[in-house]
Amino acid sequence: MTEPNEENKEKDVKNNSEEPITVHVDELKDAVEKEIADAGGEDIKIGVYVCQCGGNISDVVRTDLVAKELEKFPNVVVSRDFIFMCSDSGQELIKKDIQEKGINRVVVGSCSPFLHETTFRKAVSSGGLNPYLYTHVGIREQDSWVHADHPKEATELAVHLMEAGVAKARLLEPLKPTEIKAKKHALVIGGGIAGLQAALSIAKADLKVTIVEKSHFLGGRVAQWDTVFPTDEDARAVLNRVIEEVLANPNITIHTGTELIAAKGYIGEFNIRLRQQPRGVSEDFDGLDEAIKVCPVEVPDEFNFGLSKRKAIYRPYDGCVPSGAVIDWEHCTKCGECLKVGKKGSINLDETPHEFDITVGAVVVATGFDPYEPFKGEFGYGEIPEVITLPQLERILSKDGPTKGKLEVNGHPVHNIAMIHCVGSRQKEGVHKPQPDGKVNDYCSRVCCTATLSAAKQIHEHFPDTNIFDLYQDIRTYGRGHEDYYINASKNGVTFLRYFAEEIPEVTKSPEGEKNPVMVKVKDHLTWGYEVEVPVDLVVLAVGMMPTPIQDLIGMLKVSQGNDRFLLEVHPKLRPVETAIAGIVLAGTAQGPMTIREASYAGQAAASKVIAMLITGQVELEPFVAKIDPERCEGSGECVKYCPQEEAIRLETFTEDGRTFQRAVVSPANCNGCGVCVSVCPNRAINIQGWTLDQFDAMVEALAMEVSVLEDA
Amino acid sequence: MTYRVDPTFVDELKKYGHVNIEDCFNCGNCTAICPLSTSETPFPRKNIRQAQLGLRENLLESVDPWLCYYCGECTLTCPRQAEPAEAQMAMRRWLTAQYDWTGLARKFYTSKVWEIGAVFFLAAFIVVTFVLFHGPIVTDHVALNTFAPVHLVELGDYVMLVGLSFFLLSNIFRMYLFIVRSDKSLKIPFKLYITEAWQLLYNTVTQIRYAKCDEEEGQSFWEKTRWRNHLIIVSGYGLMFTLVVVFLRWFQTDNYYPIWHPQRWLGYYATIALLFGAGDAIIGRIKKDNEMHKYSHPSDWMFPILLLLTAFTGILLHTFRYLGLPLPTYYTYVIHLAILTPMLVLEVPFGKWAHLAYRPFAIYFEAIKEKAKVLQESQTTADAYAAAD
Repeated sequence: MTEPNEENKEKDVKNNSEEPITVHVDELKDAVEKEIADAGGEDIKIGVYVCQCGGNISDVVRTDLVAKELEKFPNVVVSRDFIFMCSDSGQELIKKDIQEKGINRVVVGSCSPFLHETTFRKAVSSGGLNPYLYTHVGIREQDSWVHADHPKEATELAVHLMEAGVAKARLLEPLKPTEIKAKKHALVIGGGIAGLQAALSIAKADLKVTIVEKSHFLGGRVAQWDTVFPTDEDARAVLNRVIEEVLANPNITIHTGTELIAAKGYIGEFNIRLRQQPRGVSEDFDGLDEAIKVCPVEVPDEFNFGLSKRKAIYRPYDGCVPSGAVIDWEHCTKCGECLKVGKKGSINLDETPHEFDITVGAVVVATGFDPYEPFKGEFGYGEIPEVITLPQLERILSKDGPTKGKLEVNGHPVHNIAMIHCVGSRQKEGVHKPQPDGKVNDYCSRVCCTATLSAAKQIHEHFPDTNIFDLYQDIRTYGRGHEDYYINASKNGVTFLRYFAEEIPEVTKSPEGEKNPVMVKVKDHLTWGYEVEVPVDLVVLAVGMMPTPIQDLIGMLKVSQGNDRFLLEVHPKLRPVETAIAGIVLAGTAQGPMTIREASYAGQAAASKVIAMLITGQVELEPFVAKIDPERCEGSGECVKYCPQEEAIRLETFTEDGRTFQRAVVSPANCNGCGVCVSVCPNRAINIQGWTLDQFDAMVEALAMEVSVLEDA
Repeated sequence: MTYRVDPTFVDELKKYGHVNIEDCFNCGNCTAICPLSTSETPFPRKNIRQAQLGLRENLLESVDPWLCYYCGECTLTCPRQAEPAEAQMAMRRWLTAQYDWTGLARKFYTSKVWEIGAVFFLAAFIVVTFVLFHGPIVTDHVALNTFAPVHLVELGDYVMLVGLSFFLLSNIFRMYLFIVRSDKSLKIPFKLYITEAWQLLYNTVTQIRYAKCDEEEGQSFWEKTRWRNHLIIVSGYGLMFTLVVVFLRWFQTDNYYPIWHPQRWLGYYATIALLFGAGDAIIGRIKKDNEMHKYSHPSDWMFPILLLLTAFTGILLHTFRYLGLPLPTYYTYVIHLAILTPMLVLEVPFGKWAHLAYRPFAIYFEAIKEKAKVLQESQTTADAYAAAD
């Protein structure tokens, strides 16, 4: 979560009071209050259960004594210990006591709440009680496991902890999860392979999907690649199969040339403002070839990574989707030459960007990567024309690339190639020049090893007389089928030389009289650290991946970014595609370097998360959010000032008996229950539901009580 | 020192054997398992790496290929099936071709036409010489020394001995230049050449390094089959060589001796040893039942086949003489020489036989270099101390 600065905060507050967001807070409040009223006046009857956890707890803690001791406490009606509370018979015990003994609060002392709190809430619920009339006490991780050497004290501690649980249970009130109507519509940001896969999977679950792609065509980086591992398929062929399915799916809407310019809201209802750049050329325009010829503007073609030039009216490649041409507004001089050609269709140089809003229930961020761009002079890049990057080599190998698939650079044929791994990856501070943000890329980009060896294989197949020298740090061909490329490279005579990050290879122009234009010098650790020089015609830098710069988007969506600038998930193993913002999930290389296969996994995983969120049209959120006591609130606004969550709490103006005053109002959908507002409120007017201040007071009091359990026994 | 890669070298080396070193990823298992390699001579990994990069000079100055006796453990252990042992074999052939300044060795190794052509050319030369210049043919009894007067044959022997020695020694001198003199910084005291000379004789006679190759600890001489067999071949070859070159007048005779006479049993021992050695090599290469014989370069066949034929015609010659068959004796004699001569001329300075000389010399050179390095280092240290004082 990015911390909004003070200035923004104030602005947000203003915005909020102007346009209140629509959550049905009042309805919710009424429902809960009614339930509380229903429960009101009844006797509190507490059931206490101490789990033995098959010896995990009872070998240290005398669970029988704990249960016996708890029995003495006011309101406790039942107190038992049992071998496995989480087992069916354990849960049955709770249900039976609810039904037969009329208990209306339940306290279970067992393992960590992470493990079984939900289990017992369900048991309580199936017994007919509100599931939040339950308190979980951890006496395994917090007690028996860590105090095995002190059984007496451990038993006393268990009693203390359970007492606190009982004290809290006495003050529990029924709660209702916050229910939000969810738009059955997802937004996918990015039309690369991950975004397309995500969109397709979501659409197949009969949810609406909008794909927003910044460039004017679909397919992203895959479209620029020639042959992809581990199947040696034509990248375009793989891509087109996905694109065709996407185009054929009626649930998917595509906006190319489009960017997000504003976003607000929460899971179930994100309000997104989009800006679409016009194409400037109508789809049926038939004079493109001629228009390109007459256009006087020439700029480096980003699709070919600057290896060739394109005009200000262009089409990235034949067969791109959408297939129409576009105007490069940044460089077009509006000279009007192109307007004079073509019979059918039209060019409109006066078109302007078009802004529109959509509302979606969830967002998939699949903004992808940029290949690392070496600094001028890094391994001779930008100074020696024979030094190129791996993506540029892929363009050269591509049949529709700048050389039409011929292995040529700077106009001359290539016989000896040096490929240098880890350019822009696994960098060392003090050795490599940092990026503008002051950081070096210390991560491994994972994909480049196999991609480099895959390119070597292609070269060997199409140009068998080429000698390839592979300068690596470590070969990390980690995935299924990847190692074959390494073995294959050896068999095809690729010569491997190993350098260490501290002593990177040196690339220079060859001195006069050399046959090959470039000289690579490397301290080769496979040859006892000898300095080895390799005369070559071409140097290929296996550049790593960096996330597409999306600072604006990160600011709008409030998703977190790792130290490596890639977007951050909640937990790498347990919640690998979710962000800390409910309703926003990640897909593909925006999250870290991935192969096409992995980006596809990620896209489909993100889709499954989105489907689970939106498929019922309703999202249930835990009720542990801030609640204002309107009697105590005086509208000081401290809570609004300190709330770290956007739009979670705001001041609203009320008028009552001719008196106008301000009170804080919580938007439960946006509140994450952190409790900052509780601590800053000068009037004790805010509580986190399920964890109220009164409950905490009671727990602390209970913990401070004397216990003399063993003397009684 | 900067080394320049030469991507053409592996292809060149491939002409000298079944080379598969592209598959090597330099893990070093081969060197770890090798019973002979040391930290100073970490073969085969080091040589393989030099070959992969095409560092010709490095390979030329390396003695390591000669220190390997092809037990094949490395090949069996190689995780990439890069055939390190065969690579070392190919490097020995390549080195033999490099040491030879005439270029003939390279021709013989890389061209079957040249090799077989040379054998037939020399054989034809011998046959023609005898057709034109043989002595009187006595048909009532065997008179070999009349047909081929021993003093004349001996003269031919000496001519050949001088010629082959000249080529072989000049090749060894080149080997010396490559291996010892390549390191200009190394000062070698002349005394070392004398004090280390025992290595030459000792290793030639005992083949002792072979005993360490491939065999288990604590085996007796008879259990170390490869060393034992090789020693038998070397002894047989050495003995026969001595008999026909040094003692020809005594060995080529028209006298009939009793069976216990040394002229007979020495000859029998040498013949049996040669038959055994050549037969072992040929059968091994046909069956490919051990690492050493798995891959056969054309030159690997030529030497044992010529040897076997030499021994075989020698036996025939001997048999015909003792049976008193004059003409078969004379004809067989000519054929015997027509096989023997190319075997010696081709193999001694330009082929397989040369390893008989190169191996002990390699050990000798290595010992000299090592000792010189130790001396130089202690001298440097002493100088440093002296300077410090």
